[in-house]
Amino acid sequence: MAHQAHAYHMVDPSPWPLTGAIAALLMTSGLAIWFHFHSTTLMTLGLILLLLTMYQWWRDIIREGTFQGHHTPPVQKGLRYGMILFITSEVFFFLGFFWAFYHSSLAPTPELGGCWPPTGITPLDPFEVPLLNTAVLLASGVTVTWAHHSIMEGERKQAIQSLALTILLGLYFTALQAMEYYEAPFTIADGVYGSTFFVATGFHGLHVIIGSSFLAVCLLRQIQYHFTSEHHFGFEAAAWYWHFVDVVWLFLYVSIYWWGS
Amino acid sequence: MLLCAIRYYRVKKGLRPHIPSESPNVIFATPTKLVSESNAAVEYMGANKVPDLQRIFQASDEIPVHLKRGVPDRLLYRTTMALTVGGALYCLVALYIAAQPKNK
Repeated sequence: MAHQAHAYHMVDPSPWPLTGAIAALLMTSGLAIWFHFHSTTLMTLGLILLLLTMYQWWRDIIREGTFQGHHTPPVQKGLRYGMILFITSEVFFFLGFFWAFYHSSLAPTPELGGCWPPTGITPLDPFEVPLLNTAVLLASGVTVTWAHHSIMEGERKQAIQSLALTILLGLYFTALQAMEYYEAPFTIADGVYGSTFFVATGFHGLHVIIGSSFLAVCLLRQIQYHFTSEHHFGFEAAAWYWHFVDVVWLFLYVSIYWWGS
Repeated sequence: MLLCAIRYYRVKKGLRPHIPSESPNVIFATPTKLVSESNAAVEYMGANKVPDLQRIFQASDEIPVHLKRGVPDRLLYRTTMALTVGGALYCLVALYIAAQPKNK
Protein backbone atom coordinates (compact mmCIF):
# COMPACT_ATOMS: atom_id res chain seq x y z
CA MET A 1 0.00 0.00 0.00
CA ALA A 2 1.37 3.47 -0.90
CA HIS A 3 2.21 5.44 2.23
CA GLN A 4 0.87 8.91 2.93
CA ALA A 5 2.19 11.55 5.33
CA HIS A 6 -1.30 12.75 6.40
CA ALA A 7 -4.44 11.31 8.01
CA TYR A 8 -6.86 12.23 5.24
CA HIS A 9 -8.45 10.00 2.62
CA MET A 10 -7.46 10.47 -1.04
CA VAL A 11 -10.05 8.24 -2.72
CA ASP A 12 -9.34 5.93 -5.66
CA PRO A 13 -10.77 7.05 -9.03
CA SER A 14 -14.42 5.98 -9.14
CA PRO A 15 -17.01 5.69 -11.93
CA TRP A 16 -20.05 6.11 -9.65
CA PRO A 17 -20.40 9.92 -9.81
CA LEU A 18 -20.69 9.61 -13.60
CA THR A 19 -23.18 6.74 -13.50
CA GLY A 20 -25.18 8.62 -10.85
CA ALA A 21 -25.30 11.77 -12.96
CA ILE A 22 -26.43 9.81 -16.02
CA ALA A 23 -29.06 8.09 -13.86
CA ALA A 24 -30.39 11.53 -12.86
CA LEU A 25 -30.50 12.54 -16.55
CA LEU A 26 -32.37 9.38 -17.53
CA MET A 27 -34.89 9.71 -14.66
CA THR A 28 -35.72 13.34 -15.39
CA SER A 29 -35.96 13.10 -19.16
CA GLY A 30 -37.68 9.74 -18.70
CA LEU A 31 -40.33 11.52 -16.63
CA ALA A 32 -40.90 13.98 -19.49
CA ILE A 33 -41.06 11.16 -22.06
CA TRP A 34 -43.57 9.32 -19.85
CA PHE A 35 -45.80 12.38 -19.59
CA HIS A 36 -45.83 13.08 -23.34
CA PHE A 37 -45.33 9.72 -25.04
CA HIS A 38 -46.64 7.21 -22.44
CA SER A 39 -43.40 5.17 -22.39
CA THR A 40 -41.74 4.32 -19.06
CA THR A 41 -38.60 2.63 -20.49
CA LEU A 42 -36.23 5.57 -20.07
CA MET A 43 -37.39 6.37 -16.55
CA THR A 44 -37.14 2.71 -15.47
CA LEU A 45 -33.64 2.52 -16.93
CA GLY A 46 -32.71 5.57 -14.89
CA LEU A 47 -34.10 4.02 -11.71
CA ILE A 48 -32.14 0.78 -12.24
CA LEU A 49 -28.97 2.76 -12.86
CA LEU A 50 -29.63 4.80 -9.69
CA LEU A 51 -29.99 1.62 -7.61
CA LEU A 52 -26.80 0.13 -9.09
CA THR A 53 -24.91 3.37 -8.40
CA MET A 54 -26.12 3.60 -4.80
CA TYR A 55 -25.29 -0.06 -4.10
CA GLN A 56 -21.75 0.14 -5.50
CA TRP A 57 -20.93 3.61 -4.14
CA TRP A 58 -21.89 2.76 -0.57
CA ARG A 59 -20.36 -0.72 -0.85
CA ASP A 60 -17.05 1.00 -1.75
CA ILE A 61 -17.33 3.35 1.25
CA ILE A 62 -17.74 0.31 3.54
CA ARG A 63 -14.68 -1.27 1.88
CA GLU A 64 -12.62 1.91 2.31
CA GLY A 65 -13.62 2.34 5.98
CA THR A 66 -14.03 -1.11 7.48
CA PHE A 67 -11.62 -3.11 5.33
CA GLN A 68 -8.95 -0.58 4.34
CA GLY A 69 -8.94 1.56 7.50
CA HIS A 70 -9.18 4.92 5.73
CA HIS A 71 -11.72 6.37 8.21
CA THR A 72 -9.26 7.93 10.65
CA PRO A 73 -10.59 10.42 13.27
CA PRO A 74 -10.25 13.50 11.01
CA VAL A 75 -11.96 11.63 8.16
CA GLN A 76 -14.76 10.51 10.49
CA LYS A 77 -15.18 14.13 11.65
CA GLY A 78 -15.75 15.11 8.00
CA LEU A 79 -18.31 12.33 7.59
CA ARG A 80 -20.12 13.58 10.71
CA TYR A 81 -20.22 17.15 9.34
CA GLY A 82 -21.53 15.75 6.06
CA MET A 83 -24.38 13.81 7.67
CA ILE A 84 -25.38 16.75 9.90
CA LEU A 85 -25.45 19.11 6.91
CA PHE A 86 -27.48 16.64 4.85
CA ILE A 87 -30.07 16.22 7.62
CA THR A 88 -30.21 20.03 7.99
CA SER A 89 -31.00 20.32 4.28
CA GLU A 90 -33.81 17.79 4.75
CA VAL A 91 -35.18 19.85 7.64
CA PHE A 92 -35.43 22.82 5.27
CA PHE A 93 -37.15 20.59 2.70
CA PHE A 94 -39.91 19.75 5.20
CA LEU A 95 -40.04 23.35 6.45
CA GLY A 96 -41.31 24.31 2.99
CA PHE A 97 -44.27 21.93 3.21
CA PHE A 98 -45.10 23.10 6.74
CA TRP A 99 -45.01 26.68 5.41
CA ALA A 100 -47.50 25.71 2.71
CA PHE A 101 -49.77 24.04 5.28
CA TYR A 102 -49.79 27.00 7.69
CA HIS A 103 -50.18 29.50 4.83
CA SER A 104 -53.44 27.82 3.75
CA SER A 105 -54.77 26.81 7.18
CA LEU A 106 -54.16 29.96 9.23
CA ALA A 107 -56.22 32.12 6.82
CA PRO A 108 -58.64 29.81 5.00
CA THR A 109 -60.10 31.42 1.84
CA PRO A 110 -63.84 31.84 1.15
CA GLU A 111 -63.55 29.08 -1.48
CA LEU A 112 -62.84 26.66 1.38
CA GLY A 113 -65.76 27.97 3.43
CA GLY A 114 -63.56 30.28 5.48
CA CYS A 115 -62.77 27.46 7.91
CA TRP A 116 -60.17 24.74 8.51
CA PRO A 117 -60.68 21.87 7.90
CA PRO A 118 -62.40 23.12 4.72
CA THR A 119 -66.13 22.49 4.21
CA GLY A 120 -66.78 18.93 3.09
CA ILE A 121 -63.53 17.48 4.46
CA THR A 122 -63.78 14.88 7.25
CA PRO A 123 -60.31 14.77 8.79
CA LEU A 124 -58.86 11.61 10.34
CA ASP A 125 -59.37 11.23 14.10
CA PRO A 126 -55.98 12.15 15.60
CA PHE A 127 -56.54 9.85 18.57
CA GLU A 128 -56.94 6.68 16.53
CA VAL A 129 -54.28 5.27 14.15
CA PRO A 130 -52.22 8.52 14.05
CA LEU A 131 -51.74 8.29 17.84
CA LEU A 132 -50.69 4.65 17.51
CA ASN A 133 -48.22 5.71 14.82
CA THR A 134 -46.80 8.29 17.23
CA ALA A 135 -46.33 5.62 19.90
CA VAL A 136 -44.71 3.27 17.37
CA LEU A 137 -42.13 5.85 16.26
CA LEU A 138 -41.37 6.98 19.82
CA ALA A 139 -40.83 3.34 20.81
CA SER A 140 -38.51 2.88 17.83
CA GLY A 141 -36.49 5.84 19.11
CA VAL A 142 -36.04 3.99 22.39
CA THR A 143 -35.04 0.72 20.68
CA VAL A 144 -32.50 2.43 18.44
CA THR A 145 -30.90 4.05 21.51
CA TRP A 146 -30.85 0.62 23.17
CA ALA A 147 -29.10 -0.72 20.05
CA HIS A 148 -26.50 2.06 20.23
CA HIS A 149 -25.69 1.34 23.87
CA SER A 150 -25.50 -2.39 23.12
CA ILE A 151 -22.96 -1.75 20.35
CA MET A 152 -20.89 0.51 22.61
CA GLU A 153 -20.89 -2.12 25.35
CA GLY A 154 -19.98 -4.97 23.00
CA GLU A 155 -23.28 -6.80 23.55
CA ARG A 156 -23.59 -8.44 20.15
CA LYS A 157 -26.85 -10.35 20.61
CA GLN A 158 -28.68 -7.42 22.23
CA ALA A 159 -27.50 -5.06 19.51
CA ILE A 160 -28.85 -7.36 16.82
CA GLN A 161 -32.17 -7.86 18.60
CA SER A 162 -32.81 -4.17 19.40
CA LEU A 163 -31.82 -3.08 15.88
CA ALA A 164 -34.14 -5.70 14.37
CA LEU A 165 -36.95 -4.50 16.65
CA THR A 166 -36.38 -0.90 15.53
CA ILE A 167 -36.71 -1.93 11.89
CA LEU A 168 -39.87 -3.94 12.63
CA LEU A 169 -41.42 -0.90 14.30
CA GLY A 170 -40.53 1.18 11.24
CA LEU A 171 -42.21 -1.35 8.95
CA TYR A 172 -45.25 -1.45 11.25
CA PHE A 173 -45.54 2.35 10.95
CA THR A 174 -45.33 2.11 7.15
CA ALA A 175 -48.01 -0.60 7.03
CA LEU A 176 -50.36 1.37 9.31
CA GLN A 177 -49.86 4.53 7.27
CA ALA A 178 -50.49 2.67 3.99
CA MET A 179 -53.75 1.36 5.43
CA GLU A 180 -54.70 4.89 6.54
CA TYR A 181 -54.01 6.20 3.03
CA TYR A 182 -56.25 3.53 1.53
CA GLU A 183 -59.10 4.13 4.00
CA ALA A 184 -58.95 7.97 4.11
CA PRO A 185 -62.22 9.73 3.21
CA PHE A 186 -60.33 12.39 1.22
CA THR A 187 -57.72 12.27 -1.59
CA ILE A 188 -54.77 14.37 -2.75
CA ALA A 189 -57.13 15.99 -5.28
CA ASP A 190 -59.42 17.36 -2.56
CA GLY A 191 -58.25 20.95 -2.64
CA VAL A 192 -55.44 22.41 -0.62
CA TYR A 193 -56.28 20.20 2.39
CA GLY A 194 -55.66 17.05 0.36
CA SER A 195 -52.51 18.47 -1.24
CA THR A 196 -50.86 19.61 1.97
CA PHE A 197 -51.85 16.44 3.84
CA PHE A 198 -50.65 13.88 1.32
CA VAL A 199 -47.53 15.72 0.13
CA ALA A 200 -46.26 16.34 3.69
CA THR A 201 -47.15 12.91 5.10
CA GLY A 202 -46.18 11.22 1.83
CA PHE A 203 -42.65 12.62 1.82
CA HIS A 204 -42.42 11.72 5.50
CA GLY A 205 -43.42 8.14 4.71
CA LEU A 206 -40.75 7.99 2.00
CA HIS A 207 -38.19 9.10 4.59
CA VAL A 208 -39.39 6.37 6.98
CA ILE A 209 -38.76 3.82 4.22
CA ILE A 210 -35.31 5.29 3.52
CA GLY A 211 -34.49 5.30 7.25
CA SER A 212 -35.68 1.72 7.69
CA SER A 213 -33.49 0.65 4.74
CA PHE A 214 -30.47 2.45 6.21
CA LEU A 215 -31.06 0.67 9.55
CA ALA A 216 -31.46 -2.67 7.75
CA VAL A 217 -28.05 -2.23 6.13
CA CYS A 218 -26.65 -1.45 9.60
CA LEU A 219 -28.24 -4.66 10.93
CA LEU A 220 -26.51 -6.70 8.21
CA ARG A 221 -23.21 -4.97 8.99
CA GLN A 222 -23.62 -5.55 12.74
CA ILE A 223 -24.23 -9.26 12.08
CA GLN A 224 -21.08 -9.34 9.94
CA TYR A 225 -18.94 -7.82 12.73
CA HIS A 226 -18.27 -4.52 10.91
CA PHE A 227 -18.95 -2.35 13.98
CA THR A 228 -16.62 -2.08 16.97
CA SER A 229 -17.56 -0.61 20.32
CA GLU A 230 -15.49 2.51 19.55
CA HIS A 231 -16.08 2.90 15.81
CA HIS A 232 -19.55 2.50 14.31
CA PHE A 233 -20.27 5.79 12.53
CA GLY A 234 -22.50 4.17 9.89
CA PHE A 235 -24.86 3.14 12.67
CA GLU A 236 -24.71 6.57 14.32
CA ALA A 237 -25.59 8.24 11.01
CA ALA A 238 -28.58 5.90 10.60
CA ALA A 239 -29.69 6.61 14.18
CA TRP A 240 -29.44 10.39 13.64
CA TYR A 241 -31.52 10.06 10.48
CA TRP A 242 -34.07 7.92 12.31
CA HIS A 243 -34.44 10.48 15.14
CA PHE A 244 -34.92 13.22 12.49
CA VAL A 245 -37.73 11.14 10.89
CA ASP A 246 -39.32 10.72 14.34
CA VAL A 247 -39.20 14.48 15.09
CA VAL A 248 -40.71 15.36 11.68
CA TRP A 249 -43.59 12.99 12.45
CA LEU A 250 -44.17 14.70 15.83
CA PHE A 251 -44.45 18.07 14.06
CA LEU A 252 -46.75 16.55 11.42
CA TYR A 253 -48.93 14.97 14.08
CA VAL A 254 -49.30 18.12 16.18
CA SER A 255 -49.77 20.49 13.19
CA ILE A 256 -51.73 18.59 10.53
CA TYR A 257 -53.45 15.77 12.40
CA TRP A 258 -54.23 17.45 15.73
CA TRP A 259 -54.35 21.25 15.33
CA GLY A 260 -55.53 20.86 11.72
CA SER A 261 -58.62 18.90 12.71
CA MET B 1 -44.03 -61.03 51.74
CA LEU B 2 -42.12 -57.82 51.59
CA LEU B 3 -42.09 -57.93 47.79
CA CYS B 4 -45.86 -58.39 47.71
CA ALA B 5 -46.21 -55.43 49.99
CA ILE B 6 -44.00 -53.37 47.76
CA ARG B 7 -45.92 -54.40 44.62
CA TYR B 8 -49.21 -53.63 46.37
CA TYR B 9 -47.85 -50.26 47.39
CA ARG B 10 -46.73 -49.47 43.84
CA VAL B 11 -50.10 -50.50 42.37
CA LYS B 12 -51.91 -48.32 44.91
CA LYS B 13 -49.72 -45.40 44.01
CA GLY B 14 -50.39 -45.91 40.30
CA LEU B 15 -46.78 -46.64 39.56
CA ARG B 16 -45.90 -48.95 36.72
CA PRO B 17 -44.01 -52.21 37.55
CA HIS B 18 -40.25 -52.56 37.07
CA ILE B 19 -39.68 -48.86 36.72
CA PRO B 20 -37.74 -47.16 39.52
CA SER B 21 -39.82 -44.44 41.16
CA GLU B 22 -36.79 -42.32 41.85
CA SER B 23 -34.79 -40.98 38.93
CA PRO B 24 -31.11 -41.87 39.02
CA ASN B 25 -28.61 -39.14 39.81
CA VAL B 26 -28.59 -37.01 36.69
CA ILE B 27 -25.14 -36.89 35.17
CA PHE B 28 -24.22 -34.13 32.72
CA ALA B 29 -21.46 -34.72 30.22
CA THR B 30 -20.16 -31.28 31.02
CA PRO B 31 -21.29 -29.05 33.88
CA THR B 32 -24.04 -26.58 32.90
CA LYS B 33 -22.61 -23.15 32.21
CA LEU B 34 -23.96 -19.78 31.18
CA VAL B 35 -23.57 -18.64 27.56
CA SER B 36 -22.09 -15.40 28.83
CA GLU B 37 -19.32 -17.37 30.49
CA SER B 38 -18.48 -19.42 27.42
CA ASN B 39 -15.54 -18.44 25.30
CA ALA B 40 -15.61 -16.77 21.91
CA ALA B 41 -15.96 -20.14 20.20
CA VAL B 42 -19.71 -19.77 20.73
CA GLU B 43 -20.80 -17.79 17.66
CA TYR B 44 -24.03 -15.90 17.29
CA MET B 45 -25.19 -15.63 13.69
CA GLY B 46 -21.97 -16.52 11.87
CA ALA B 47 -18.20 -16.17 12.24
CA ASN B 48 -16.20 -12.96 11.90
CA LYS B 49 -14.87 -12.68 8.36
CA VAL B 50 -13.64 -9.07 8.65
CA PRO B 51 -9.93 -9.93 9.15
CA ASP B 52 -9.95 -12.01 5.93
CA LEU B 53 -11.67 -9.21 4.02
CA GLN B 54 -9.19 -6.72 5.42
CA ARG B 55 -6.38 -8.87 4.03
CA ILE B 56 -7.98 -8.97 0.57
CA PHE B 57 -8.68 -5.26 0.38
CA GLN B 58 -5.30 -4.18 1.74
CA ALA B 59 -3.32 -6.17 -0.86
CA SER B 60 -0.81 -3.90 -2.59
CA ASP B 61 -1.95 -4.49 -6.16
CA GLU B 62 -2.87 -0.95 -7.27
CA ILE B 63 -6.40 -2.12 -8.15
CA PRO B 64 -9.04 0.54 -7.33
CA VAL B 65 -11.45 -0.31 -4.52
CA HIS B 66 -14.46 -0.76 -6.81
CA LEU B 67 -12.73 -3.65 -8.64
CA LYS B 68 -10.68 -5.10 -5.83
CA ARG B 69 -12.73 -8.26 -5.42
CA GLY B 70 -12.11 -9.35 -8.99
CA VAL B 71 -14.74 -11.07 -11.16
CA PRO B 72 -18.00 -10.13 -9.38
CA ASP B 73 -16.89 -6.47 -9.20
CA ARG B 74 -15.92 -6.42 -12.88
CA LEU B 75 -19.24 -7.96 -13.93
CA LEU B 76 -21.29 -5.44 -11.98
CA TYR B 77 -19.11 -2.54 -13.16
CA ARG B 78 -19.40 -3.51 -16.82
CA THR B 79 -23.16 -3.98 -16.57
CA THR B 80 -23.52 -0.57 -14.92
CA MET B 81 -21.29 1.11 -17.52
CA ALA B 82 -23.15 -0.55 -20.40
CA LEU B 83 -26.46 0.75 -19.01
CA THR B 84 -24.88 4.18 -18.49
CA VAL B 85 -23.54 4.56 -22.05
CA GLY B 86 -26.52 2.83 -23.69
CA GLY B 87 -28.96 4.80 -21.59
CA ALA B 88 -27.29 8.13 -22.38
CA LEU B 89 -27.45 7.43 -26.12
CA TYR B 90 -31.09 6.24 -25.87
CA CYS B 91 -31.89 9.41 -23.95
CA LEU B 92 -30.35 11.64 -26.64
CA VAL B 93 -32.31 9.82 -29.37
CA ALA B 94 -35.56 10.05 -27.39
CA LEU B 95 -35.05 13.77 -26.78
CA TYR B 96 -34.24 14.33 -30.49
CA ILE B 97 -37.48 12.59 -31.49
CA ALA B 98 -39.44 14.47 -28.83
CA ALA B 99 -38.09 17.76 -30.19
CA GLN B 100 -39.50 17.13 -33.69
CA PRO B 101 -42.49 19.36 -34.46
CA LYS B 102 -45.88 17.66 -34.60
CA ASN B 103 -47.17 17.99 -38.18
CA LYS B 104 -50.90 18.72 -38.11
